[in-house]
Amino acid sequence: MRVKCFIDEEGIVLERVREYLMNDELVKKVLKEFTPLICEANFREVYLLRERVKELVLGVFKSGRAPYSAGLYLGRLRDSRPKLIPSTTFLQHVNSILGHAYRALTVGINGLKPFLYGKDVLKASVVGCHPPIIKNDLLAVSGRDGYVYGAAISLINSCIELKSLKKTDPVALRVFDVGWFLREGKEPRERKYTISHKRKSNRI
Amino acid sequence: MLQYLNEGLRGWEEMPSLEDIGDLREWLRSKVRVGKIARELAREFGYRPYMIERFRELLGSWLEVREILEAFERGLNPFIRCNRLKVRDCREVVERLRKADVLLRGVSWCSNCFEVYGGGGKESLGYLHEHLLGMYYLYRGPASLIPPLTLNPERVDSILDLAAAPGGKTTHIAELMGNEGRILAVDISRARMRALRSNVERLGVTNTVLLRIDGRLVPELFRDFFSKVLLDAPCTGEGLIAIDVGRKVRSSLNDLLRVRELQIELLKAGVESVRPGGLILYSTCSIAPEEDELVVAELLRYGKVKVVPRRLPLRFREGLTHYFGLDLPNVLRGCSRLYPHISGSEGFFTCLLRRVG
Repeated sequence: MRVKCFIDEEGIVLERVREYLMNDELVKKVLKEFTPLICEANFREVYLLRERVKELVLGVFKSGRAPYSAGLYLGRLRDSRPKLIPSTTFLQHVNSILGHAYRALTVGINGLKPFLYGKDVLKASVVGCHPPIIKNDLLAVSGRDGYVYGAAISLINSCIELKSLKKTDPVALRVFDVGWFLREGKEPRERKYTISHKRKSNRI
Repeated sequence: MLQYLNEGLRGWEEMPSLEDIGDLREWLRSKVRVGKIARELAREFGYRPYMIERFRELLGSWLEVREILEAFERGLNPFIRCNRLKVRDCREVVERLRKADVLLRGVSWCSNCFEVYGGGGKESLGYLHEHLLGMYYLYRGPASLIPPLTLNPERVDSILDLAAAPGGKTTHIAELMGNEGRILAVDISRARMRALRSNVERLGVTNTVLLRIDGRLVPELFRDFFSKVLLDAPCTGEGLIAIDVGRKVRSSLNDLLRVRELQIELLKAGVESVRPGGLILYSTCSIAPEEDELVVAELLRYGKVKVVPRRLPLRFREGLTHYFGLDLPNVLRGCSRLYPHISGSEGFFTCLLRRVG
């Protein structure tokens, strides 16, 4: 499939990032100095370009070609919820600006290992919760070391809800993680899922 | 000593240059005559005999041929480069890997680089969380650390990496630039491009554009544009035998010369893409002069570059100026050869060029 890329001049990315981060000040800081680039093929992928990188991309455009990727990979846009699937690079970028985790679960080492093998996050492995947390939307999965290990779909609507769960209850469904390339050895594909309130039907 | 003696003797002969001989393939075929010692060593170490005869021509004595063959049998320790784009203090990586039973020692000529010299975790370096998080890049030997250091990228540079996958050198350059400036990383292979993207994202590189294209076409997009170009050229990997023993028999002389044609075209594309005065670093993981000095010599005939002599941090030898009776330009002494029995690394070749026209 031929890739079509264009500079986002309509503010599509800004809108999606604003919806995701829910904090206009933070959005300003996160997107400062960047121009969003959208590339469409099997997926709609978004990259953030600094000025000098943008010049390179425009040079590529002149030849009628599209870059394979460019700048900071922000993530994927979807038409249905969750409308933005942020990359680990972007989530780490947000954390580095704030100096702490945001929209995230911190998972202990015993939970990280199965997560990196494709398992979901269970209550027993959660050692920290960083609002805002919204049910059926993406959150970052971080380690105690402050690194982002992946992203997951939240099954809870707030950090307080955690307290009512049993140890073995799932808290978030893994979408992708940093171990993906090792396991699959190919392009990351988002996990196929539909968003539903029934936990089991969250998977296909 | 023997080398100087050989050179002295050669001085008495009238040696043809690359211009004089016409067809290099025919010339080499007529000159590479496999003798008895080469056949015996080839049988003993499992090589194609023509390779051994060429090693004799490179190294000057059968004694040294045996030394390099034995060095190829020894294998190499892996190396890691702590990624400062993800890690503030590399002591954190050392400590985390020590807990994973990986023993490291610093590399004197590369800050934030470490040789993995032992520990039970050595085999699992590619699977550790620290690797997945992009805290380090794993190398099979030290030589690949050299080209980015030699190119010495700065934060204001525009860099072209012409055969970039899987990204060890691209990500190293990005790290040296502190994610400032810009890099165009090009590769033609779809599969290798995936690996490149994976590594670029894993290591937190954000100043790079990845483009899947035949590197020879880059001047159509960016002519006289970049301040520096790295061409770590696709090659037969004759220097990687310690890592991949299959390379003892994989390539014929014809294969070497076929790859050489591609290397020359890629290097010309690099020259056309860099702005006048800019630098081009040509490197291969091969000790075959057909892919090294004979490529650079062809570019010198092209006329737009000159060799910029550089000393390497590992023990190295100067580039060859004679090969099977061929007289090569004296300036090739400014290129560098790494031999495993001398430097303790992979076999490697680098040559820094400056565009002058």
